[in-house]
Amino acid sequence: MVRLITHNLLACHFRDVQIELREAEFNPEFLKGFMPKLEWKALVDAARQLGDTTLPLEVPEMLDDEFLKNLHHVLLEIHVEEGVMSCPNCKHDYPILNGIPNMLLAEHEIG
Amino acid sequence: MAPKVLESTLVSEDPLSYENENVHTIYDEIASHFSSTRYKPWPVISAFMSSLSTGWVGLDAGTGNGKYLPLPLDHPTDIFTIGLDRSIKLLQIARTAGEFQQTREVVWGDILGHGWRSGIFDYAISIATIHHLATHERRVQAVRRLIESVSPHHGRILIYVWAIEQDELSKRKITADDEAHSDGKGKDVIVPWVLAPQKGAHKNSAEPQVFNRYYHMFAKGELSGLVHDAAGGLDIDVGPPPALDEPLSPKRGVEIIQDDWERSNYYVELKCWAIPELLI
Repeated sequence: MVRLITHNLLACHFRDVQIELREAEFNPEFLKGFMPKLEWKALVDAARQLGDTTLPLEVPEMLDDEFLKNLHHVLLEIHVEEGVMSCPNCKHDYPILNGIPNMLLAEHEIG
Repeated sequence: MAPKVLESTLVSEDPLSYENENVHTIYDEIASHFSSTRYKPWPVISAFMSSLSTGWVGLDAGTGNGKYLPLPLDHPTDIFTIGLDRSIKLLQIARTAGEFQQTREVVWGDILGHGWRSGIFDYAISIATIHHLATHERRVQAVRRLIESVSPHHGRILIYVWAIEQDELSKRKITADDEAHSDGKGKDVIVPWVLAPQKGAHKNSAEPQVFNRYYHMFAKGELSGLVHDAAGGLDIDVGPPPALDEPLSPKRGVEIIQDDWERSNYYVELKCWAIPELLI
């Protein structure tokens, strides 16, 4: 159930995904508090990769309810159940199985 | 019944293989039984989770069965905790931790890895995990990773490890009474786990299996010692932020807010601070 909130904290790209949508409780205060952390472009790109085009290319000035609901859906309700995350920095592929990404690195990469 | 003195052990091979054999393989075998005995969040940890700010995102490094992922119970959606663990079997349980079988965010990985964006988390907890690392250097590295993963400006960290000094309710003793353990280095021990025969097995045929898990039991002061060693390697001060009237050259620091013992565990709570110029 890797969601985009996790993906954004890892900064990888998605590939070959199977997704599931699951409702999560909407909490606008959480979203407003969390927003400054987001790499916005990475989030929008990833959302589009997963078929969601509701997010604007730039963070809007006014965080209205409709925007927050779209952000909520993108961050917390799209679960990548199967797929691959590719890291552009270390060129490593991280498989996702049953919603759990495998982030174990080869031993020599832990340093 | 007198508490049983645990068997001391020596980590004689390379730490990765040692941990694989004496920690990881075992947790995968005992996962569901282990999980059923680990369900009650401890008060200091619950209080910590309740004190975090709305919008905060954090890491549970060594989440096990995910019992801290649903916290705080009274306002759970104000924060978001991602659980990391080395045991895929425990993660499969952590995935739906909590009363309403909500899907939790869990990642299969190593607490010494560094895939996260530096300083991205607002908080990190590591409960009963670092004591499974087989060398002092790896334990220091684990603390270093926690410090690196949280915000330099406001990051908060809580770490719990097993203590040599066990309380009266504990069934085990780490040393015989006449052994001095004042060298501050802690003790490497084996702690058995008895896996009862599975349900459905014929009563008389199944023998309980015993799994011997490796733990490093911490001595007094050893955990805060790890914090000093970890911070030193990152050129980070240990102590409170400087007063405003002191000269303000760019600097990062970590303050030890709590350093205590509770119910057979040592714990530290840390708070990061930074003089801004360094970190625009």
